[in-house]
Amino acid sequence: MAGSKVDAKVVLLGKSYAGKTCLVERYLKNRFLGDTVPYQNTIGAAYGAKTVTINGKNIVIGIWDTAGSERYEAMSRIYYRGARAAILCFDLTDKSSFDRVRFWIGELRQHESECKIYLCGTKYDLIAEDPEKRAVSVSDAKSLAVDCMADLFETSSKTGKDILEMFNKIAQNYVASKNLKEEKAEDQSFVLKESGRRHHCLCTS
Amino acid sequence: MAALGEAEQVVATTDSDQGDFNEAEAPGKSDDAPFFPSDSIEELIYDDLTEADHQTLHKGTIHSIVRQTSYDSRSETPNTVDQDTPDISAGEESLEDSAETQVNSNSISVGEQEECLDAEVEDEEDVNSPNWKNQKKHVFILSESGKPVYSRHGHEDKLVTIMGVMQALVSFVQDSKDSLRSIVAGKHKFVFLVRDHLILVGVTRGTDSTQQMLLQLMYVYNQVISVLTHSQLSKIFKQRRNYDLRRLLTGAEKFFDNLLNLMDSEPGLLLSAVRCLPLDNQVRDIIAQTIVQNAKVKDLVFALIIAKNQLVTLVRMKKYYLHSMDLHLIINLVNASESFKEAESWTPICLPKFDASGYLQAHVSYLDSDCQVCLLLLSVDRDSFFTLSECKDKIKTRLTRYNALEAIDSSLRRKSYSTQQCGITDLRHFLYKARSTAQYTSPELEAPYCLPGEDERLFGMYQYLHHRIHTSGRPLKILFHVGQYETLLGWVTQGFELYAVFGPLVTKTGAIHAVNKLLRWIKREEDRLFILNSPTF
Repeated sequence: MAGSKVDAKVVLLGKSYAGKTCLVERYLKNRFLGDTVPYQNTIGAAYGAKTVTINGKNIVIGIWDTAGSERYEAMSRIYYRGARAAILCFDLTDKSSFDRVRFWIGELRQHESECKIYLCGTKYDLIAEDPEKRAVSVSDAKSLAVDCMADLFETSSKTGKDILEMFNKIAQNYVASKNLKEEKAEDQSFVLKESGRRHHCLCTS
Repeated sequence: MAALGEAEQVVATTDSDQGDFNEAEAPGKSDDAPFFPSDSIEELIYDDLTEADHQTLHKGTIHSIVRQTSYDSRSETPNTVDQDTPDISAGEESLEDSAETQVNSNSISVGEQEECLDAEVEDEEDVNSPNWKNQKKHVFILSESGKPVYSRHGHEDKLVTIMGVMQALVSFVQDSKDSLRSIVAGKHKFVFLVRDHLILVGVTRGTDSTQQMLLQLMYVYNQVISVLTHSQLSKIFKQRRNYDLRRLLTGAEKFFDNLLNLMDSEPGLLLSAVRCLPLDNQVRDIIAQTIVQNAKVKDLVFALIIAKNQLVTLVRMKKYYLHSMDLHLIINLVNASESFKEAESWTPICLPKFDASGYLQAHVSYLDSDCQVCLLLLSVDRDSFFTLSECKDKIKTRLTRYNALEAIDSSLRRKSYSTQQCGITDLRHFLYKARSTAQYTSPELEAPYCLPGEDERLFGMYQYLHHRIHTSGRPLKILFHVGQYETLLGWVTQGFELYAVFGPLVTKTGAIHAVNKLLRWIKREEDRLFILNSPTF
């Protein structure tokens, strides 16, 4: 997108009430309002940015917190287009939200093959309180993560568990893949020149 | 209104009896209005409303803007009008978002009635519960095949039967090539609006007239379109007639709830007019110019600032106007959404009067830390978020530098103005609408109307007055009405509509003298109370 000073675009996707907004709220503002403020569904998508330092380098992460309502799904491409990472959120206490994750995996594979996927089970604090509430087993989540080559996190926006870790991982992976790309890009320019010369040779001979 | 029924004397003046009424002046008049003077209620003819949508809804505006402005740059095809229909084949998750609906229905019941505090919770949503029956006004949306879509009170799931009855009534009358408009039963009025794919039903035992209910149902229908677009709605129901539309409307219930609440208290929706935040003419010009200069972005159609349901300024693309009905939907969007306060947002919105077939993309942000001054930038370019975000930063910086935000803030804190400022004794309250600009003004509610229940009674009297004047059978120009607790005067001309409330003892000549004085006062203040010019990009 034009005019953005953003390095890594991160998009949050998942069923409504999965806890995407709370996750972003915890990461960007380090606070949790879920207990005091009644649930408010997001309209469209909200945007926030944060600068992190990885290996002494500043990286701006631009985060798109999308609405989970079904009617936005048809339009969700405008939010995840060009994203470097997608956090697919599901509520650990709600099986249907986990099933929805598969839809998003399919969607991303089809349109944004470059986008790295992170699976994020939310509301871990509820499970820590009462293990009975768990509706998505660790093994199910893990096998899905393996399937789509994703990292898996179980987070709690209330306690802050694993949220910084997840975003740090995203930033590190972004830097690593960028470095890799730069190397590749150098390789490619070299190859191109060479093949051009060869082509030329073939023509004249 | 029981109070109106007792000891009242109605005097309807005719043309010959208005020597004292001077029609020439219409304060707040302007030929360069920022938006369309909208359908006022007398133009609300039922047949027009029930006409096929393609004749009444505007379409293709977005396409023509995109065509005009983007042939030079983008190789990509214009991507605004998104006709992707979400996958509607999967029916497995009809119960999803139950948590959300729960939250919503809770908030409804908290907002409306004190009596339900101790009411039987399980009974609350039942058709037979006294609480449900005692609601003053019900609004239902159902699909053509009778599936519940929305109910203002109670839970749609429990209303399947009653909605089936409504559908049966409508289709029974339709069978004889006729249409069901309304039923009056005792104190209750049942009003029906049948549009493409949806049936809307309003039931009231309040002061709303049938036509006023119809207007409200129109707003509700447009709210559905605003969320889904007409194209999407048609496509879905063409694919599956018995589709459960609630799936696509999850999370949008609050827009309907909020809109209906606004309609019960905001005269603007009744009058089809918008209230502007009183501001010094120069300050308003500075704000508009700041937006014009700092938001010169291709494909930006409208830029507006809204503060506490009042319009601060509106800048538009040349040739395109905003309809006041659309503006009310925008105000409702801002008013109903807490989530905009947390972060800059980028959301699709369809404006039915502007173009019912596609979405505009709205950049929504608050300019002040108290989240009262909301800037909306509406574009047809879906990828312009960051460009618009930069514009917003610039606008915010400039407005802060020119002390314009401060001016808005102090106008908000001062509230509107007091009736006393008009200097007319015995005048308690009034509504004044400038018809050419579709804007209205009214003073703050003051004693006795700030008591609980009294504001509602006042609104009911305005509804009554408005209805009597606009009733299609016998439209009036002037109505002088002596009620038990106050005297009302309504006066409608080509240029304006004025509804004034006086103490009970005012005489007719006294009232006429007073409104003439009031018109002069409004004329003096018009630069502050109305937006009389319409800046463009």
